[in-house]
Amino acid sequence: MSSALWPRRAFLATVSAATASVLLTACGGATATGPSGDGTPVDGGNLTFLIQGYDTGWVSSKTSISSYEGNLWGQITDKLVYVDEKGKLSPWIAESWEELNGAKEFVLHLKKGVTFSDGSPLDAAAVVANLNAWAKGDPSRGVSKVGLFPSTNFLKAEAKDAGTVRVTFSSPALGFIATLGYHGCILLSPKTLALPVEQQADLKQEIGSGPFVVKSWKQGDSYVLEKRKDYNWGPAALGHTGPARLDTITYKVIKDTSVRTSTVASGQAEVAFNVEPQEIDSLKAQGFTVGTPRYLGFTDGFQVNTGTFPTNELSVRQAIQHGIDREEILKTVYTGDWTAATTFLQGNVPEAGDYSGLFKFDPEAAKKLLEDDGWKTGADGYRVKDGKTLELTLSPNPYVPSTKAEDELISQQLKNIGIKVNLKVVDVAGYAAVQASHPPLYQTSRSFVDVGTVAGVLTSQNNGEDWFRLGTSDKKLNELSTAVATASDRDTRKKVAGEIQQHVLEQGYFIPLNQLVQRLYLISPKVQGVQYNGLAYANFYTAWIAK
Amino acid sequence: MKPAYQRYALTRTAQAAVVVLLAYVLTFLVTSVLPGDAVTNALRDPQNGLSEQEIQRIVAFYGLDKPVLVQLGLSLGRFLTGELGFSLQSDLPVSRLIGDALPSTLTLAGSALVIAVVFAVAIAYGAHHLPGKWSGAVRSIPSFFLSVPNFVIGLVLIELFAFRLHSFTTTDPNSPAATLFAAVTLAIPVSAPLAEVLIAGLDHESRQDYAQVARSRGITEAGLFVKHLVKPSALPSVAMVALIVGELLGGSVITETIFGRDGIGTVVQKAVTGEDQPVLQAVVSLSAVVFVAVNLIADLVSPLVDPRVKLRETVDA
Repeated sequence: MSSALWPRRAFLATVSAATASVLLTACGGATATGPSGDGTPVDGGNLTFLIQGYDTGWVSSKTSISSYEGNLWGQITDKLVYVDEKGKLSPWIAESWEELNGAKEFVLHLKKGVTFSDGSPLDAAAVVANLNAWAKGDPSRGVSKVGLFPSTNFLKAEAKDAGTVRVTFSSPALGFIATLGYHGCILLSPKTLALPVEQQADLKQEIGSGPFVVKSWKQGDSYVLEKRKDYNWGPAALGHTGPARLDTITYKVIKDTSVRTSTVASGQAEVAFNVEPQEIDSLKAQGFTVGTPRYLGFTDGFQVNTGTFPTNELSVRQAIQHGIDREEILKTVYTGDWTAATTFLQGNVPEAGDYSGLFKFDPEAAKKLLEDDGWKTGADGYRVKDGKTLELTLSPNPYVPSTKAEDELISQQLKNIGIKVNLKVVDVAGYAAVQASHPPLYQTSRSFVDVGTVAGVLTSQNNGEDWFRLGTSDKKLNELSTAVATASDRDTRKKVAGEIQQHVLEQGYFIPLNQLVQRLYLISPKVQGVQYNGLAYANFYTAWIAK
Repeated sequence: MKPAYQRYALTRTAQAAVVVLLAYVLTFLVTSVLPGDAVTNALRDPQNGLSEQEIQRIVAFYGLDKPVLVQLGLSLGRFLTGELGFSLQSDLPVSRLIGDALPSTLTLAGSALVIAVVFAVAIAYGAHHLPGKWSGAVRSIPSFFLSVPNFVIGLVLIELFAFRLHSFTTTDPNSPAATLFAAVTLAIPVSAPLAEVLIAGLDHESRQDYAQVARSRGITEAGLFVKHLVKPSALPSVAMVALIVGELLGGSVITETIFGRDGIGTVVQKAVTGEDQPVLQAVVSLSAVVFVAVNLIADLVSPLVDPRVKLRETVDA
């Protein structure tokens, strides 16, 4: 809404301060006060969480992975497995698990005594119903599967007894357990899953087993959650047992970013979602906490189409890699909480390595690559070969608004090495058309919880997404992808994943930009104990408000 | 006169119904031309990691893979039986989304209209009765009101009254105090054209003979204003009601966004960004109904109340 370069909130504060000083004799703005007490958690308290919108509704298969709705889902539901900020897995509703038969078979042992908020048991039968919904969905009822669930080799899930579930796959599924910690895999009552989508759209009908339950809601306005007093099955990794400490959490929709920020800054609410990156430093200086968790997944960057002009030439792809100054992007568009990419995986993915040397900023090297390949500088400063100007069209990723400012900078940076970039800004609907047209560079970002996801996107093997339009033409990439997909032990897989990163970056198939922070939390100093999971969602189960 | 009026009333009502129906069909066609649809756009979010075939199967459930004309037929059939369908974004019934949002919008628009009228009358009175220098200053208020963007007014009011004076909290936008400030935000631009029409009317009427006569009988300027000038000067502004209703609906998007109110404006804004066809069609038709109804009532009433408006009798051959 407001331009990154125009600090609207500061401007308004000045305007209204001037107005106020005319009208009033003295009026101090609210300043943050630090937490009082000795840091011992206290029970009780109500937390108001300001968010810009809940537009997509409450059909879990459609919205549980959304940055907005996902926040609320995380408070009212549990998962089988917990994944922390470093990608480490630990037990939750699944107390323990066994990986058998070369990762083709898994046995989950469930925690006993867990119930949904309607009183029905969260037992093996309920888990089987959820697993089937995640793996297959039900397109005839408008219910989609969970995108990252290993569906293609999923055979079946069966309840062996009330507390044991056996899941079998036709080929190794090393990523299965990790996927259970993914934000799409939330456990819902089988009754909820069986409802038609129009009824699932009613948040009150969404029965989970989480530390909070829905008390009341008005679509597009406010959503009140209250704690479940008998909750006693949170993840051990969070270091807390029993019910949540907060009495209620109210999610309140305020669309305007500056109003959300000022409301928390003035003490009228406790948490605001997504503040302007440029405001982080001054808010921190006032004593506020700004949570900038990173998700596990692919970094912000460009998928390169190797089948179209001009990125069908290796020299051009490599020149773009070296022509982009990531430090300048971080300094101009972001703050110290963002870091440059070291590969095309976010740094907290356990398999991510440091390959930044392969795409470090070096404009001279970039120019030499182009020069040696016959791209000569033309009259207007852009390079020409065989009468064709070196140019391409670039569209920022509308799902990540800050990429517009990023791409404006990139077009200037690439101009310096003689590449002409035509920026074409589109909205979400237009971006689908951009993707379908397979442009030279397609900006992407995606979260995942298991590196096995990588194998499914790089080539066209096994219905893969074929990000680089290589089909199956790059034999080395085919072999490496297959090796990651079929690996049955993690050490081997990590080694191959490293080779994949090296190969993809050497060939200039992917141009990494920076490690993305997509969810920002502005938190009042009174609020303590907020934790973040590996998908960068804030968890308020352990949070408390200092008196 | 009587059969003529009946025929007139029937024709106007039929025309109104056609306008509403056309608004519904046109909204459908315009949104169909745009690339993508609500369901595909949501599922294509790269975070989802769904394949194109998986997306297409869900799209088929919503019937969005059918030819546009077939979809239009289904949608029209629904509309004619009074069924508004379900939102493609949230899967909630469209009637419920509108029903939830309508009271908030009506409160806001109603209060804004009252405040706008008060502002306009006060400005017009001031412009007309204050001494020269002050009158000039007051006369420039309407253009000032029109030139300050709505969102600036709203944000300054919030910063000042919510965050500094604590007159209301932004987290409870439906409280009377918060509603008042939102209504003032919306009323300011609406009052400007109203005030200008009133001022022009007053200027014109006060030069008329009857005003001179009244003055010669020693009536005070205030008395002249209240007893003789207000009514004839206000007649042209009554004709602006339809325009003002449009402005209240249009301006409410920004005001609602800034004040965090969930009203028709925000419903429209969400439906547009999400290409939520059924919601858009319903809201556009609803607005058309309001617009057409206001005009229709004005048209139907004017021959009855204003003796100067005459219906022409068609002479049968």
